[in-house]
Amino acid sequence: MNGQSHVAAQSGSIAPASATVFERLGLDGPLTIFGGPVYWLLFVLALAAALLFPLYGSVFAALNFTNFLINVPLALGLALLWGYCGVLSFGQVAFFGIAGYAYGVMAINWGMGSATLLAAFCALGLTALVAAAFGYFLFYGRVSGWIVPVLTLVFTLVLETFLGQTAGMEWKIGEAPLGGFNGMTNIPSLTAGTISFDGFSLPLFYLVIILVAGILVGLRMLANSHFGHVIMAIQEDPERAELLGYDIRRYQLVVFTIAGFLAGLSGVLYATWGNFIQPSSVGLLAATFPVLWAAVGGRRSLTSVLIGTIALASLSDALAVYSGELAFVVMGALLLFGMMAAPDGIVITILRFLTKLVGRKSR
Amino acid sequence: MTLLVLEGVRRRFGGIVAADGIDLALGDGERRCLIGPNGAGKSTVFKLIMGLVRPDSGSIRLDGREITREEPFRRVQLGLSMKYQTTRIFPSLTVAQNMSIARSRGGNGSDLVSWALDRLGLTSLATRSAGELSYGQQHWLEMCMVLGSGPRVVLMDEPTAGMTPEESRRTGGFIKELTGRGIAAIVIEHDMHFVRDLEAPTTVLHQGRVFREGSMAEIEADPEVQRIYLGEVDA
Amino acid sequence: MTGDLFNFGYQFLVNISFLMFAAMGLIIVLGMLNIINLAHGEFIMMGAYATTLLVHAGVPFVVAVVVATIIVGLIGIVVERLVIRRFYGNRLNALVATFGLSLMLSQGTLLIFGPFLKGIRMPLGGFRVGEYSYATYLLVVAILAFVLLFALWLLFYRTRLGIDMRATMQNPDMARALGVNTSRIHTFSFALGAALAGLTGALYAPTTTIVPLFGTAFIAPAFITVVIGGGADPLIGALASSVLLSTVSTPLSSQYGTFAGRIGLMLAALIIMRFLPDGLSYYVRAAMLRRRKARPEGAR
Repeated sequence: MNGQSHVAAQSGSIAPASATVFERLGLDGPLTIFGGPVYWLLFVLALAAALLFPLYGSVFAALNFTNFLINVPLALGLALLWGYCGVLSFGQVAFFGIAGYAYGVMAINWGMGSATLLAAFCALGLTALVAAAFGYFLFYGRVSGWIVPVLTLVFTLVLETFLGQTAGMEWKIGEAPLGGFNGMTNIPSLTAGTISFDGFSLPLFYLVIILVAGILVGLRMLANSHFGHVIMAIQEDPERAELLGYDIRRYQLVVFTIAGFLAGLSGVLYATWGNFIQPSSVGLLAATFPVLWAAVGGRRSLTSVLIGTIALASLSDALAVYSGELAFVVMGALLLFGMMAAPDGIVITILRFLTKLVGRKSR
Repeated sequence: MTLLVLEGVRRRFGGIVAADGIDLALGDGERRCLIGPNGAGKSTVFKLIMGLVRPDSGSIRLDGREITREEPFRRVQLGLSMKYQTTRIFPSLTVAQNMSIARSRGGNGSDLVSWALDRLGLTSLATRSAGELSYGQQHWLEMCMVLGSGPRVVLMDEPTAGMTPEESRRTGGFIKELTGRGIAAIVIEHDMHFVRDLEAPTTVLHQGRVFREGSMAEIEADPEVQRIYLGEVDA
Repeated sequence: MTGDLFNFGYQFLVNISFLMFAAMGLIIVLGMLNIINLAHGEFIMMGAYATTLLVHAGVPFVVAVVVATIIVGLIGIVVERLVIRRFYGNRLNALVATFGLSLMLSQGTLLIFGPFLKGIRMPLGGFRVGEYSYATYLLVVAILAFVLLFALWLLFYRTRLGIDMRATMQNPDMARALGVNTSRIHTFSFALGAALAGLTGALYAPTTTIVPLFGTAFIAPAFITVVIGGGADPLIGALASSVLLSTVSTPLSSQYGTFAGRIGLMLAALIIMRFLPDGLSYYVRAAMLRRRKARPEGAR
């Protein structure tokens, strides 16, 4: 018996005996498209450049960039759910909103200081719970593929309608008015000791960078693990996966909850960055964004979704200066023509091309 | 000792009666062939056993335990396994990764799987992408995969469809050795040479019902069986 | 007492017809093409806009409704030929593409026509029963919903075209082999779905403000109706689903307001999905087939 199948006989160990160090750590693998020494070199350089940015760039630019980065967990969650597990959810922004509002309500009621940390954890926990409950009905009903996108869209639409009509003073949870159409304001920023993670100073910038880097690495490791292979199998052939003994409903539920949690993380970060949250963060137009980032970025690759999110968020931000409607029309066009011309995603196609050019491919 | 029992299993799809009171009993380590003309309900029996389709009435028992209402994955965990008619593997992953996914319960079927991979010549192909394997090899890969859960019963739906005679012979030998290791197998087949070579009791299905049961020699000599294959009068 | 009963009955009927109109085009496209058109709301919106603009230009209301419906149907033909047909067999990509289209249409309308158009009046006035007053128009629309259902039934079950459509829906390869021009059937089906959406927008234009996001009030209920109805049989699905959902939402919305009705719909959808994942039309049709089999003429 040669070394290959012997290694394969150990459960959980996917990498063949001749794996690179990246593969052994789970950082690289067949389910993460881009990798290898060049990739990780670029990763380290980019991370260093980001962390050292305030030394050579303006604080204003850094804070602006933070705004774009805050969207990344939301986008990566959808990439995991859609690209890896094959489940398209139009309602990720609903979890963004639930977490943002929950954090707002708790932080306003419990006051500033370290109570905000508790508020953040509780908000995230609540969001994960809602995601799990919703996911239970979706996946344990074994509904057909298109029902998930439709019902998650409905969920976020209904939530937006609800939040939009909470204007009166009777819509108050403790001291926190939900604020109706204008949303909730004066949300205290996350505070740890004397450090305030708000949209006017650098600590949040650093926090978001570290979180994003950590989430990317973590999700890569998850993708390359046995769990990641199983969810990929579920996407490719759900019945075959089930007949290998896997409760696919449970796997789908777990991934959906993770994606909801990540969307919620973006929501909390947004609330602490802007000190507000509004119904327009939820609902039909908001729902476009993560789908756009994942579809146009390239949902099969976490890296291209990350790059795509930052690029597209900057683009729509720049366009919105001229006209908000124009920004949406352009994004709609990107979605439509992207699906027709480059269904795998535009950024991923570019990255694949560049990879071939450089002549180095991940194994 | 009866391992798998189907009793009075009925199932219709709209106006079509796919299973019309099927009674089947399979012993531990028994090898059985399931034949019958097209539309007789053979694949439906497999789907009923695996839970992909629920019966309208009747009962299915594994090792004495009622599994009629169990979810498919649960039945696999309890010891059933099925190889599809058209190979269903994960073509974008390597052979080793396919096998790793197939081992859903850790090293439970470990020795069995290693033996199977070796017997079918797949051990040296561990790093090959499954989509690049030849047609016969993909069938064999799937056969190894369905052993990954450590099953007591393996259902094989036309395992030699599209294989060369040499590959069929190898598959036949494999199945005989498999049952020799105590794993029961039901094989649906159309290739009568293959069925004969398997030297196993045979069940003939017709219009959703068990028509005849016996050795292959008895079945082949039976004029009624010939008639249902030639599509004459309803039985 | 009779006043309250009539009130409830009226609301119930109005809600059913709303759901049927909102969902009908979507269900037909789903059943025939296995595609969910996320731009459905925008087709409804375009019907409303076309009607409103025509009426303001002096065209009589009924004529405007007919013309608007035809216009949206034609737009449907264009959309099917240019976009939809690239996505047959790839439902998720179709969803995303139509999502993009929906965005382009609604925001484009906002860019071109601004945030709202001057509305049109509800024709036909009202009547009183007991202490409540009612709009006659909504009752007419409710009746039209059932007339439409009947007309579609005639189309599907009594015309050559309808047979071709059903054949294409059940077995496109076989239909093609028998000489049915499936490509044209696909285009017609999508255009029919679009036209029905346009008709919905046209009929409901006098009931509310004309804004680019006109369709959004329809899509959540439409999607829920479709999800519960399922694509197995569009007509049964739309009817069964509308009736069931109205039964849930009418009491809720009369007591607690439209929003509560909406939440009730969504929760009902989630629960029904959990236990009847193939949609009502599948189970209703199975039951009907079983009954037909029991009668002598139904035996094969």
